[in-house]
Amino acid sequence: MNWSKQFRKLFSANLKVMFREKQVWFWNIFFPIILMTIFMVIFGGSDGSDFKAKIAVVKPAAGQAADGMLASLKQIPVFEWKSEEPVTAEQADDWIKEKDVDGVIYLPEDEHAQSLKLVVNTENEQNATTQVIRGILEQIVQQSNLAAAGIQTPTYHLETLSVSSGSEDLNYTDFLMTGMIALALAQGGLFGMVDLVEMRRKGLMKRLRMTPIRMGLLGLASMLVRFLLGVFQVVCLSAIGVFLFGAHLHIDVPTLLVAFFIGSLAFNALGYLFSSFSKTLEAYMGFANIASFLMMFISGIFFPASSLPGWLQPVKDVLPLTYFAEGLRDGLVYGSGIESTEFWLGAGVLALWGAVAYLIGATLYRRGKVEAR
Amino acid sequence: MPILQVQGLRKAYGPVVAVDGISFEVEAGEVFTIIGPNGAGKTTTLEMIEGLVPPDAGSIVVDGLTWARDADRIKYRIGIQPQSSAMYDLLTVEENLELFATFYPRARDTKDVLAMINLTDHRNKRVKSLSGGQRQRLAIGLGMINDPDIIFLDEPTTGLDPQARRNIWDIVLGLKAMGKTTILTTHYMEEAEKLSDRVCIVDQGKVVTLDTPSALIGRLTREREVRLSFLDGEEAAAAAETAVHDASGVVRTSREGAHLALWSVRPEETLYDLFGFTKERGYRVDQVSIRELSLEDVFIAFTGKEWRD
Repeated sequence: MNWSKQFRKLFSANLKVMFREKQVWFWNIFFPIILMTIFMVIFGGSDGSDFKAKIAVVKPAAGQAADGMLASLKQIPVFEWKSEEPVTAEQADDWIKEKDVDGVIYLPEDEHAQSLKLVVNTENEQNATTQVIRGILEQIVQQSNLAAAGIQTPTYHLETLSVSSGSEDLNYTDFLMTGMIALALAQGGLFGMVDLVEMRRKGLMKRLRMTPIRMGLLGLASMLVRFLLGVFQVVCLSAIGVFLFGAHLHIDVPTLLVAFFIGSLAFNALGYLFSSFSKTLEAYMGFANIASFLMMFISGIFFPASSLPGWLQPVKDVLPLTYFAEGLRDGLVYGSGIESTEFWLGAGVLALWGAVAYLIGATLYRRGKVEAR
Repeated sequence: MPILQVQGLRKAYGPVVAVDGISFEVEAGEVFTIIGPNGAGKTTTLEMIEGLVPPDAGSIVVDGLTWARDADRIKYRIGIQPQSSAMYDLLTVEENLELFATFYPRARDTKDVLAMINLTDHRNKRVKSLSGGQRQRLAIGLGMINDPDIIFLDEPTTGLDPQARRNIWDIVLGLKAMGKTTILTTHYMEEAEKLSDRVCIVDQGKVVTLDTPSALIGRLTREREVRLSFLDGEEAAAAAETAVHDASGVVRTSREGAHLALWSVRPEETLYDLFGFTKERGYRVDQVSIRELSLEDVFIAFTGKEWRD
């Protein structure tokens, strides 16, 4: 028996079957690209440098304090003025309701009521622009207070710098790109084993068992094809992230390889587990979708997982996608990881998920074979 | 020495006994057909012989080999076309054949197989776009890619149009001409009669009867149905009915207008007497027929069931 020839044929057959299936192209390549593009266009575009807040000012009464405030507001570069001159309260209300402005500032009414009022649309109450405007205004109020108290030069300063473990700063684009790569690879595994369900449903598994084929060889060939698809996904998504959205890559090959290999195996094992107890395509897709959606939002793909509520943190800590995304970020943008204990702990969690899923799946398959007619 | 020996095969799924003590032997070079109603246990019997389903009891010997000891060697020597005819739908005809060829240490040339199943012109077509008949021929082609000595065809013509069925018959006859042994199941009596050397009728998991098609038919009661119609109308038919009633061998008669039907255990003598009578009276007979017995009658006689295609 010529094993290498059999393996080569199985590999090329699996490769053809995979790339001739339009669904594979859509779900594994185009869908992640579309998703990543949408997220990057919406959330990735705004750097601090071109941040602008559109505002208007209402000046109820002429007064020295109000004029002084107005003059200092005009100095602030990030404010874009809807109207250079102060407007009426009614006009300002309209603008806020229509969201023509991000906020309206009411200057102090008279010398005695020294309050500065910020009005925003309720929908935007919590958003980043409102936070920034509020921060700026608070600073102005602070300075005015200091001036009123006769202090010209403040004793303390606050300076903010961002620090990242990578050689370059990890920005949101990098974060999202690596998250999307992790998600695409994970989904490739979770959904990819649908082949097995289909092969069983159509009787192809049974047909193959009639031949002296080595099932291990078939499994190996199809796994190799899946790895190839994974590499293709990584390359496509990275290229789009880097060339279209200016993401940064700082690759550490051993870290990337280990994370890719263990993660892909673990998620394929999960898919294999789902396929072992799904009798129909619909059932399998249901399980894969639940798993994928659950992890997509909890494992820090689109947003850092640290922003999750406290009670969700332990869930995040057991999900495999969390560690897969971290591992790939280590390998793709932090350029390190293989020497850290944290990386190997994550790899261990992934391996454990994979091993347990595979063992349960294999047991269910063995039991199913006896019952199958 | 038979090439396949099946002895006391038994298989139950829970309380349902699918196969209940089936035994038979198949000689090399034979076309051996198993027929029976749905749920008779045909497919389960085949799957046990093919090594897919372990039997609860009984033995299977394929040319001196058993599944327990020589699974791979049996697989090298048998070819299977299962009912589901599953294959890689996204691969072409030729790619499917070439892939299956690598599973065996010895394989027939892909070109030969393509020619035998008459798919040479369609070899670059993906399986997805084949017609039902073409797909079925490819399924048989995959079954003979390893040049097997025994080939199992499980309902190869079910659901095919008459022309496509005939194409498959040609393949089966071709295999027979090559000296291969074919084990066939079918829903079509005509097919069984035409192709088989021997027929095994199975019902409720048991072998009901087993012999050559002609011997099975010969074993049926010799009561034959004879039909006549008279040009001289009802009167002539009625007179003939009365006359024939006392003729030798006639069991019963029935008449409808100018049409007379009679059942006789000695149809030749009955007809001789009848024609003597009509000649004497000057009645003109329009049509005469003796219905031929077919495997269908055998089936009905042995199982007491109507045959349904």
